[in-house]
Amino acid sequence: MPVLAWSDDVNSYESLGENGVGETAREVNSISSNPRIGVFICHCGSNIAGTVNPSKVREAAEKLPGVVTAKENKYTCSDLGQDEIISAIKQNGVERVVIAACSPRMHEPTFRNCVKQAGLNPYLLQMVNLREQCSWVHSREKDKATEKAIGLVRMGVAKAARLEPLEAREVPVEQSSLVIGGGVAGIQAALDLAEMGFKVYVVESEPSIGGRMAQLDKTFPTGDCAICILAPKMVELSRHPNITLLSYSEVEEIHGFIGNYNVKVRKKARYVDESKCVGCGVCADACPVKVDNKFDLGFGKRKAIYVPFPQAVPLKYTIDRENCIHFKTGKCGACVKACSNDAIDYEIVDDEIELKVGTIICATGFDIYVPKKRDVYRYWESRNVITGLELERLINASGPTGGNFIRPSDGKPPKRVAFIQCVGSRNRKLGSAYCSRVCCMYTIKNAQIIKEHQPDTDIAVYYNDIRAFGKGFEELYHRVREEYGIEFIRGRPAKLSENPETGSITIRAEETLLSKITEREFDLIVLATGLKPSEGSKRIGKVLPLSLSSDGFFQEAHPKLRPVDTAIDGIYLAGCAQGPKDIPDSVAQAKAAAASAAAIMAGKQVRIEPLTAIVDEELCVGCGLCVEMCPYGAPEVHESETGSKAKIVEALCHGCGTCVPACPQKAIAANQFTDEQITSEIASALGGVGRAAGKTKKDANRAEGA
Amino acid sequence: MGEVEKTFIGGLHEKLAEDKIIDESHLEPNFAKEIVKHGGKDVMTCLQCGNCTGVCPISLKIDYKTRSIIKFCQFGLKKFTLEMRWVCATCYRCYEYCPADINPAEVMIALRHMAIKEGVIPPFIKLAATNLVEYGQSVKPDSEIERVRRELDLEDMPSRTRGYAKVVREINLLVRSTGYDRLIGIESEVRG
Repeated sequence: MPVLAWSDDVNSYESLGENGVGETAREVNSISSNPRIGVFICHCGSNIAGTVNPSKVREAAEKLPGVVTAKENKYTCSDLGQDEIISAIKQNGVERVVIAACSPRMHEPTFRNCVKQAGLNPYLLQMVNLREQCSWVHSREKDKATEKAIGLVRMGVAKAARLEPLEAREVPVEQSSLVIGGGVAGIQAALDLAEMGFKVYVVESEPSIGGRMAQLDKTFPTGDCAICILAPKMVELSRHPNITLLSYSEVEEIHGFIGNYNVKVRKKARYVDESKCVGCGVCADACPVKVDNKFDLGFGKRKAIYVPFPQAVPLKYTIDRENCIHFKTGKCGACVKACSNDAIDYEIVDDEIELKVGTIICATGFDIYVPKKRDVYRYWESRNVITGLELERLINASGPTGGNFIRPSDGKPPKRVAFIQCVGSRNRKLGSAYCSRVCCMYTIKNAQIIKEHQPDTDIAVYYNDIRAFGKGFEELYHRVREEYGIEFIRGRPAKLSENPETGSITIRAEETLLSKITEREFDLIVLATGLKPSEGSKRIGKVLPLSLSSDGFFQEAHPKLRPVDTAIDGIYLAGCAQGPKDIPDSVAQAKAAAASAAAIMAGKQVRIEPLTAIVDEELCVGCGLCVEMCPYGAPEVHESETGSKAKIVEALCHGCGTCVPACPQKAIAANQFTDEQITSEIASALGGVGRAAGKTKKDANRAEGA
Repeated sequence: MGEVEKTFIGGLHEKLAEDKIIDESHLEPNFAKEIVKHGGKDVMTCLQCGNCTGVCPISLKIDYKTRSIIKFCQFGLKKFTLEMRWVCATCYRCYEYCPADINPAEVMIALRHMAIKEGVIPPFIKLAATNLVEYGQSVKPDSEIERVRRELDLEDMPSRTRGYAKVVREINLLVRSTGYDRLIGIESEVRG
């Protein structure tokens, strides 16, 4: 049975019926333009050859129309294999290359380069997947696998005959970067990029940068003071000539594509002129309003005009509009009178800033899991049950207690402290199913700090498993047990009950290693609460269509090989926005994100793959359905002399093909996946049996235009 | 004696293991799968955190540990689950708290299904089943219950009202046609 094929002779389509599509599929044995096709079959060691018989595939390929040479290789991707392709192109005059090997995700770029080296357009290459889609999945049916491989190669050859040369486009890259989030990850990424000579804009929603790390007391496992190692970096960032810090600001809109992002930032009104404020604090002394300080998680107080913490960067005061007497009643004005620099201005309004950047690093961090009301841990019901982050503030020298370790109910130092692990983590019912990765270590570190503050404190840790996986972590875990005598109880507490007179709390739990149920009384309970995606991440999620993984954090492009990239080119992830991690990991990822962003910007130009959708203007009626369907915002409808027409912005198009079937006019085609190319594949898959769809009018128009 | 098995299985109930060293012949590797087949969840995903033991109301009265039974199930120590599986009141508190979403109460129910199929039927189950076919309820109505109900000004028990005989007949029919009577061994009690 001869293989069905279609003539590239455009005139023959005039004989098609009114419907145009597949009315008269003609039987032709040769292709009129007759490209010379070379087929290269890879053994991939025994990966393919162990199941598929490559010689039989080669013999079948040799007989296919248009094939002038068919070769086998042990490894086609090796130097030897690539040389063979190059010589086939140069010596045998091969014009289309079919490589039957692994997934195109693996080696398509390799072979494109190879084909290009030989002087052929790199898009005249067709990969046939004989490994992932054939030998690996059919290892028990060798004969049938070979038969399938022959079919796949036949399809590849049919498509290759219809491939058209395409040209990659290059667009200039803006030499600047936007970093969203001013925590330790954002700070590090910004500093690295600035040092490399790129302009960096840092947008932080809070009045000061520093993020969660600024709230911590000490860091595990070394015990460095968190703010002491972070503050110098914060100051360096604010003073760096290449960095513009936009604190107390929100990213409102992001448009554009790799190398050319337009960003709209709203700078929230501080009601304090940043250029005049020197951070002396006289205004806060004068302010009569006292409210809970969010930075201290409700333990400390601040004024309505405030800096969140003494080391804040920028050290500029901010008026909290909700609590300020002036904004409530129009009176007061104590701060205005106190300020000697005339920095306070109630009339300041939000400012819109437009930025143009080449790359974006998203470092929007995490929030702490907050236990539910009326759950077993009594977080909302008992004052002496606190979270790990609250403890960080309570033992912090610059915290609300000045570093004196006391319990909230009576202000006395607790003598018996219990930590409860995995609160909101590793739980399929409440909170999240994942492990938050930092709670084991911060509990161990905090237990050590408490022992150092007050050596006569008894400390017990209720745990499930201790995960001390990092550098120096296991050693610290060992040390707190050996030297500090901290007790580790394996078991998840079942019930906490408070003694209303003393405020002490009794924990009932099965100590699983003893297989005994115990009830023990403690003065203070610290919940090792887990990490969850931040509110800031959710806001950015509305501005940027970044995909989320099942845990709700931003999804990286590949969990192993592209850990800081996202599905959108030119946008990178750093820190806990991508998933729970500790400070060393956040900093490492920030540096990686900075390096990835710099690699794009250093190139000055970025190559845009031509595998995009294209619109046939003659057929397009400008209905805009493609605009609605596209997940990347690539199509735009604009007015032309012949009416409204859609146009695809190539740099935005990912070539996913969603718009192609959506178009009611069949006016959109995806390069390298045209109707003609796909139907020819299908026809050859069917071995020429039955009537397959013919060339569409769209294809005919395109051929005419070419 | 006794130290070896205590070391071998953390949290093993001492009484259950008192006279034997556990060897491979006690382990039934497919036990967990069998539990799934009988309607329980996969016990192999249990974290052994002990939360179920702590919240179990039975554990307030007797030395009973839900977690240990799940542990026996993981090992395939079927024999050791036999007598404890009937203790559970299926109040589902363990289900409410279990972070691994195992539902230990339903594991207990699955274990009971398995026991019944193997003919291990405690007398109180037979009694409850007999009551069901005789009175239409698993608790036998006695004069004490009636006295209390009268004191509380409640109506007569439904089983003492007219027309309830029809309900009992229907229950008997269901019990017979589903084969429940043969399963429990109460064929002789079933009427009609």
